[in-house]
Amino acid sequence: MSDAGMTDGGMSGGIGFAAALAAWDAAAPAPARACGLEVADLLRGFHPDHRPGGMVSLVAGPNEGAPCPAQLAVLLQSDSLLEDVDLAGATILDADVLVLGGGGAGCVAALAAARAGARVLMATKLRMGDGNTVMAEGGIQAAIGAEDSLQRHFEDTLRAGHFAADKALVAALVGDGPDAIRWLIREGMSFDLADERQRMGGALLRKKPGGATAARLLSYRDFTGLELMRALREAVLLQPGITVLDGHPALELLTDDRGRCGGAALQDLGQRRLVLARAGATIMATGGAGRLHLAGFPTSNHYGATADGLVLAYRAGARLREMDSFQFHPTGIAWPPHLEGTLVSEAARSAGARLVNGQGERFVEELAPRDVVASAMLRELAEGRGIGRDGKLGLFLDTPSLEREQPGILAQRLQTLSHLAHRAGFDPAREPFLVRPTLHYQNGGMAIDTDGRSALPGLLAAGEVTGGLHGRNRMMGNALLELVVFGRRAGASAAADARQERPRNLGLNHLAGWRRGLVAAGLGLEAKGPLLFPPYGNVTPQDLRRRAA
Amino acid sequence: MKVLTDPALCVGADLTAWMARGGGEGLARALAEPASIIPMLEAAGLRGLGGAGFPTHRKWAAVAAQPGPERWIICNGNEDEPGTFKDRFLLAETPHQVIEGALIAAVATGAAQVVLYVNPREAAGVLACRAAVAAWQAHPLAAAVSAAIGQALCLRVVESSGHYIGGEETGAVSSVMGGFPFPRLKPPFPFEQGVNDRPTLINNVETLAHVAHILRHGADWYRALGLGDAAGTKLYSLSGDVLRPGLHELPMGTPLRELVFVHGGGMLAGKAFKAVFTGGPSNTLLTGADLDVALDFESVRARGSRLGTGAMIVVGEGTSILRKTAEYVAFFAANSCGQCPPCKIGTHQVSRILERLDTGAGRAGDLEALENLSHMLPGSGRCGLVDGAATVLASSLETFRAEYEAALPRD
Repeated sequence: MSDAGMTDGGMSGGIGFAAALAAWDAAAPAPARACGLEVADLLRGFHPDHRPGGMVSLVAGPNEGAPCPAQLAVLLQSDSLLEDVDLAGATILDADVLVLGGGGAGCVAALAAARAGARVLMATKLRMGDGNTVMAEGGIQAAIGAEDSLQRHFEDTLRAGHFAADKALVAALVGDGPDAIRWLIREGMSFDLADERQRMGGALLRKKPGGATAARLLSYRDFTGLELMRALREAVLLQPGITVLDGHPALELLTDDRGRCGGAALQDLGQRRLVLARAGATIMATGGAGRLHLAGFPTSNHYGATADGLVLAYRAGARLREMDSFQFHPTGIAWPPHLEGTLVSEAARSAGARLVNGQGERFVEELAPRDVVASAMLRELAEGRGIGRDGKLGLFLDTPSLEREQPGILAQRLQTLSHLAHRAGFDPAREPFLVRPTLHYQNGGMAIDTDGRSALPGLLAAGEVTGGLHGRNRMMGNALLELVVFGRRAGASAAADARQERPRNLGLNHLAGWRRGLVAAGLGLEAKGPLLFPPYGNVTPQDLRRRAA
Repeated sequence: MKVLTDPALCVGADLTAWMARGGGEGLARALAEPASIIPMLEAAGLRGLGGAGFPTHRKWAAVAAQPGPERWIICNGNEDEPGTFKDRFLLAETPHQVIEGALIAAVATGAAQVVLYVNPREAAGVLACRAAVAAWQAHPLAAAVSAAIGQALCLRVVESSGHYIGGEETGAVSSVMGGFPFPRLKPPFPFEQGVNDRPTLINNVETLAHVAHILRHGADWYRALGLGDAAGTKLYSLSGDVLRPGLHELPMGTPLRELVFVHGGGMLAGKAFKAVFTGGPSNTLLTGADLDVALDFESVRARGSRLGTGAMIVVGEGTSILRKTAEYVAFFAANSCGQCPPCKIGTHQVSRILERLDTGAGRAGDLEALENLSHMLPGSGRCGLVDGAATVLASSLETFRAEYEAALPRD
């Protein structure tokens, strides 16, 4: 798959590593070159969302006619792995609320639902906490500064998303922000303090995220997500009323004869059997789609990010939105190849690190929104100002200058980055990182209301699987905030919904209509989904379904 | 050829539009020659399309022959069984052809009390019927009907209780009289003692809808619509694992294969055909060996099954017969009125065992218990509900025993 990273954008050549290093060394500190393009033109010309031929129109399901990346469209318009007969004799588990996904959003939702009195079943494909949340490095946004306001956070988020976001969702997100931080602190999460010597009652350290008008990014070192997940994991394990099923990916949602969602069919990977988890309300918290390697890009996402939740929800009748919009993080590792796509935290740029091309020039304002920075980088690569090393093409992230200007910052504040450099085999204080944009985040997803309910009765959603919050581009630090805010909202709504009348005659009632739609659209039923594990994992879902006996 | 579901006739409650499309002609002919109505139905070969297939003219003649001035007609639109969705279409889209048929029946039998008995869960049908009945009240043909039978015609809509059991004839009578739709023992049959113990004619919506067309176009025309010996057309409610489910009006006697593979677009996802639940679904299953059966009352009966309401729930490879059977028996158990202990207890017992098997909690001996119940239950109720549950159980157990055995826990 690492070779696939080189197929995009028609990039080739570039400036040799040694020559580029010499140019960088000679020019430090790097002079800035004017961009010369309007932001809109830069995005249209170089952002992967606007690649000619990259999108196809969906021809079946609730979003018929909407654009979507071709690879994702195949999965969204695929047939089920299950048949009605497979359900016969399956083990049945009952709960009030079923949470699919064990990342940040899933854990928060499970906690919120359990504390509202619901019996919660949390099913994960890999393990609780094994998701993208732990890889969030930069931090979490919340308007807590004296000079900051909810209104500014609201406007920054809308602007960064090119005004495509749902205003009600954004208002809910920023409005709950300060309380979400209080909640996290009560759960036991640590934050960096403005003055580390002050042990009690200290103010939180605030940094300015890319695209923001105020310092509002709260963090813990450069592994904020890991710290957040640590606190959530402990909270879930200590919370009575939550049962965690690790290694139980969902293969299909269960629906009743009126189309209401009432749980999911799970595959028990360990026992190789089907488990029917029936619940009054189901929360989808399955995250994004990075491991589909859309447009051949490397990804910063973890192994499980294969759009499973989108596929299941879409098939059962939930509407999606902005499925043609993905975020490419500017600074993924370009070299060495074994770390390709791995994220270099935005905290580095936030702290002042600059991006430099092969001619020793800065070419973009590093703290512009991510889509702008990524597009500017792809432009440098496409126009031959990239840096080639062992066949990999990238741009410099100037960590040596940062260390020179703020001595000690690499060791104290950017530990993950230093660790990454160690794994790559060089000293970041002496040599810059070679980086290039990496597929990072799914901006769109399931359409939800401010309570986390989707259009499909009985199905709620939280986290990256949802859309509408980020418009067409997500701001740094809003993803962690989203999973806390909407995890709590969805959990509370689900606990309330589960007290309503339970769905009856649960089964795969939506599949007949879905299959008819696929055949009517001329697609056939050869494609099966969800994917569950990326193709290079050498495991197909059909393998998993095959009985040992 | 579409007769009842001709799009041109789907005018809703608009009586003027119905009259402009040839409506009222059948009633006018009936008023001109009242004595010819029943022989005409006999010549046309019209049969009860609610499921029994009883010759319609015999029922009408029986009511007409009863003494006394008070007689009733109930147009049965209580339709509630899984997989049947024809009456709701007729009542909501073309209520006038149903009403005209009922008025012809009033002329033929001398009944002044005409009741459209409609399931309240089908709100569109109730609304359309109310509007349609209001439109008829002021129409000269309604006055002519009153004149012909020598009594003031009383045409009205009565909402049923919505219970499945209210579709049974004696249950419908009880419901129209204001009671819970408990079926009772027969005889006396409703044509002798129905509403208020008076002679009562009960016909299905689809049956009455055909009457106006027969009177208008003649018996020979109607007979010729059917294939082979069968007469007229039939509304087939096609559902399950086919590509194009829906309501199909086809000549009576259309082969099952044609219904599924031509009109239904074939099996969904190219799956192999497994079986069809017909009618209620309360009959013996039709399997792959029966694909060439002509779907009329006689031919299906010759295969040991029954046409029923014309509902055809198709099951393909990949869909569990056990699960479907459990679903339907659960429907019958939930809709047993509880008067007859074998039905009340027996259907629930069967439902419990099927549910247990389907959810992986089956026990040794369950299949034998099901077999015993399927032998013991038939004929033990006042109405046919328990018989239907037992028949569908026995048939699926006999034909697809392997599926039942596979559901037992392996140990």
